[in-house]
Amino acid sequence: MFSKVLIANRGEIALRVLRACRELGIRTAVVYSTADADSAAVRLADESVLIGPAASRRSYLNPAAIVEAARLVGAQAVHPGYGFLSEDADFAEICADNGLVFVGPSPQVMAALADKSSARALMSRAGLPLPPGSVAPVPTAADAARVAAEVGYPVIVKAAAGGGGRGMTVVSTPTELPRAYARTRAAAQIAFGDDRVYVERYLGSARHVEVQVLCDAHGNGVHLGTRDCSVQRRHQKLVEEAPAPALSAATLDAIASGALRGALDVGFTGAGTVEFLVDSAEQFHFLEINCRIQVEHPVTEMITGIDLVHEQLRLAAGRTLRWRQEEIVTNGVAVECRVNVEDPDRGFAPTPGRLERFVPPGGPFTRVDTHGYPGYVVGPHYDSLLAKVAVWAPDRELALNRLERALDEFEVAGPGVHTTIPFVRRVLDDAGFRKGRHCTGLVETLLADLPKQSRRNA
Amino acid sequence: MSAESVPTGASAVNGGPAADAVTRTGSVVEAVTDSGASTEGTLALPSGVPGDAALVGLRRQALELLTDLAGPVRRVRLDSGDAVLEVEWHSPGDAAHPTPPPPAASVVTAPPVAVPAAPPIAVPPVAVPAARHAVRSPIVGTFYRAPEPGAAPFVAIGDRVHPGQVVGIVEAMKLMNEVTADRAGRIAEVLADDGQPVEYDQPLLAVDPA
Repeated sequence: MFSKVLIANRGEIALRVLRACRELGIRTAVVYSTADADSAAVRLADESVLIGPAASRRSYLNPAAIVEAARLVGAQAVHPGYGFLSEDADFAEICADNGLVFVGPSPQVMAALADKSSARALMSRAGLPLPPGSVAPVPTAADAARVAAEVGYPVIVKAAAGGGGRGMTVVSTPTELPRAYARTRAAAQIAFGDDRVYVERYLGSARHVEVQVLCDAHGNGVHLGTRDCSVQRRHQKLVEEAPAPALSAATLDAIASGALRGALDVGFTGAGTVEFLVDSAEQFHFLEINCRIQVEHPVTEMITGIDLVHEQLRLAAGRTLRWRQEEIVTNGVAVECRVNVEDPDRGFAPTPGRLERFVPPGGPFTRVDTHGYPGYVVGPHYDSLLAKVAVWAPDRELALNRLERALDEFEVAGPGVHTTIPFVRRVLDDAGFRKGRHCTGLVETLLADLPKQSRRNA
Repeated sequence: MSAESVPTGASAVNGGPAADAVTRTGSVVEAVTDSGASTEGTLALPSGVPGDAALVGLRRQALELLTDLAGPVRRVRLDSGDAVLEVEWHSPGDAAHPTPPPPAASVVTAPPVAVPAAPPIAVPPVAVPAARHAVRSPIVGTFYRAPEPGAAPFVAIGDRVHPGQVVGIVEAMKLMNEVTADRAGRIAEVLADDGQPVEYDQPLLAVDPA
């Protein structure tokens, strides 16, 4: 096992990784930008290295600064967390070239899976069903129109290099397609330096179901069951739960075993997530594989009792997987919500500021992952995730009640600061969600209802 | 420091008999550390104060303010036209990082403006010790004082430097990042050893501004 790990991230995930290292007896060094000098991770880490100014391009996204920081502290491995450089195959290769273990899959596997169109081809070969559409990128607007006509509208135009909900446009009619095609290509070129796009059928009333997998470098792998992340706003998840509700055991099993087969087939190693869309007929379609720890990993930890970051570190150190599939047992239901510093009433605009009051919830089976503390100043430089509240209960209804109870306790206040807590409460109140019958359109439906309600109240 | 500057405490007021004038006239000015290098305070006087009297008041205040400052003075500016007093000083933790906010300078209240006329003052009669300026690392990496092993260092103590002059390099992943002086002066101190790993923003050399 490693004796020192460099944590190349910030916020709650830096703390999460730091805690895992501590528990495994690994010394920790964390990188930080000038904007994060007062962060909890810097305070708790054994060592910290100032790597650059607030702009992430020159700090958290700067491979040279991170490799030099690892050298400075003598770390053997770099844990990238999520976001930033966590899915950057070039960075993984730079780490390897500099004698550092990158906690994640090999650069080759990352590169193959980061390209959505090559990932689709690989998964199709592994026998996973794809949404109807083009496997290869569509080079012209005319090709896009032909594919769209074949699969039927609405369609979604997606950047091959996209991810994290960026670089995709939903198109309802043929007349909108040429412009949407051109716009998505241009946006993809700017965001990812790669303007290849493909077209697939848009599954509007689908659920987002994903599978956590763990694979070692010796050909062994297990899946840790499913998660449902259908509560999304503009492809950003707000509420996540495990296991996925209201699907038959046969469907869940087919999705999970398909995911593991796909991951093993491409030589995936470490902790990863295979994402699917499941339509109303319980047909599932491969979306993408994420080569990193996910924001929503705690719900899987709570139903399996397996610490995913511990396992990531063990697997990165070359250890053999400790379980066979039949030894993985899930128990009960876990639900997590994200508490973002955003104002749901103003289009979820970020509301940075000083947290004058910050009282996270407690109580049984309630877990809060956060880097917040009273007096912490949420800066304007990075994403707005402040905390994740995750609860466990024997059944879904009790878990949802417990999450509501926890959110009742959560106090966050400061000048100009708003959070997504009120909006999450509306999700938890929704009758469809309560029954587990919701799909990815839930948030838009709730938001569309908002003005009507305001009028009624007026 | 980040874009969020750290307010430090220097404030003063003229023309008011008591400290409550501070809030009433609204002439308190916050001092700010910029990039941890220096601290400055500006004093604006309420309008309507006669020029000469204002200058005398300014001078008195400058003297009082200077004795209360947390760090060595770098620059003092007195202006009687619109009655402005500016003091720039180094925060005590200048070379250290991150810079803790220096203790607040006390509020200075001036005597009533009816003071005898005094000759115009061009320069404050205070010895202003040269305040050091730190040249900081542009990136995390390894600091080198010379262009190659065995070569003469870019600069030595006592050398004059001008803005833009290369005074060292920081190697990050085999890329040589030049460290340049950002103001004119003399090299007063070398704060990082040749071949030493350095963080972003770490002071490498101290310069006495010319």
